[in-house]
Amino acid sequence: MMSIGIVILTVCLLVLVFLALRRREDPGPVVRRMLEQFSKLIPRMLCALVAAGFIAQLIPQQAIAALLGEEAGIVALPIAALSGLIVPAGPVIAFAIAAVFAKSGASAAALVTFITSWTLFATHRILIYELPLLGPSFLRIRAVSVLVMPFAAGALAMLIGLMTSYGTPIIH
Amino acid sequence: MGSFAFLTDRVWLRALARDAFGKDFWGFLAAAIGFGVLCWWWKGAEVTLEALRSDVEMVLKVLPRIVLALSIAALIWVMLPRDRISGLVGQEAGLAGLIIATMAGALTPGGPSSAYALLAVLGTSGADRGAMIAYITAWATLGLQRVLVWDVPFMGAEFAMLRVLVSLPLPILAGLIARRLPFEMILRDFVPMTAKGRGE
Repeated sequence: MMSIGIVILTVCLLVLVFLALRRREDPGPVVRRMLEQFSKLIPRMLCALVAAGFIAQLIPQQAIAALLGEEAGIVALPIAALSGLIVPAGPVIAFAIAAVFAKSGASAAALVTFITSWTLFATHRILIYELPLLGPSFLRIRAVSVLVMPFAAGALAMLIGLMTSYGTPIIH
Repeated sequence: MGSFAFLTDRVWLRALARDAFGKDFWGFLAAAIGFGVLCWWWKGAEVTLEALRSDVEMVLKVLPRIVLALSIAALIWVMLPRDRISGLVGQEAGLAGLIIATMAGALTPGGPSSAYALLAVLGTSGADRGAMIAYITAWATLGLQRVLVWDVPFMGAEFAMLRVLVSLPLPILAGLIARRLPFEMILRDFVPMTAKGRGE
């Protein structure tokens, strides 16, 4: 099966390359940025993926499925939001954990809640960037403004899940 | 080819190698091996080899997507200057302002260092708090780069589309809430710095 993911990415890339050629963009900086990102991400990402595969074998999958799976119903959302809150790390670790959850049978709604909660409240980002650059008063306004968003996203995903099975994560 | 001079720049190459195989990498590698050993010891050779086989399969499947996604991210990074994005935000008031801030946040390439630096610039140039909250919420929940580099390869395109779909209203909602909060916002004096991207 030719995956839709590859198709979307290839189309995006071709459109951008076409635009870049038309604008006579200098390819040097693009290649430089690409190589920098590759080296930063790919070695770590591959290790994290392999580690996630082993961890999925080690953790009690039934427990995760009971907490975050379809049968957990609405209870899965606060649990997922809390798990997202306590991941104080970048995307390599957060998405490796999401992959482990998905393999153990977590529902799409729970995974949406987990990722939204992590991305909004990632502690390292608050400490390294938000507090030094914007200060505590901004953090307070932001935290209160986005507090319900992981649940809102999860609830919406759950509603969509009632109508269609579209959006189920690919379990590798 | 003057613009490719960095390819023979020793300092740049060394930094590249450090990024790829620095301390973090060995930490992740040790974790992968450690959990593998634990798996072998706990669940036996068969389960471990089966897990390893499916891991390798997944890596082979994910790798081309990641290479594609990172190429897209690099093109956007170069073609869409960050100051052009910040110029758009804060020009409009009301709902239109929130929608523009949301689009700007979703399109901002790069990791938290570029997004937060841009946000600080927005704050000092007088964008309202609703637009600021909408901008950073959109970058976090809808950021194109995160969706392409992380959601699509790790969770599949269907899940990525679902997550984007349900996240669409969030930044605007958050901006509306922020405008109604009675808290005072005292921003730090911000000295603009060069926004250097981190891998996210």
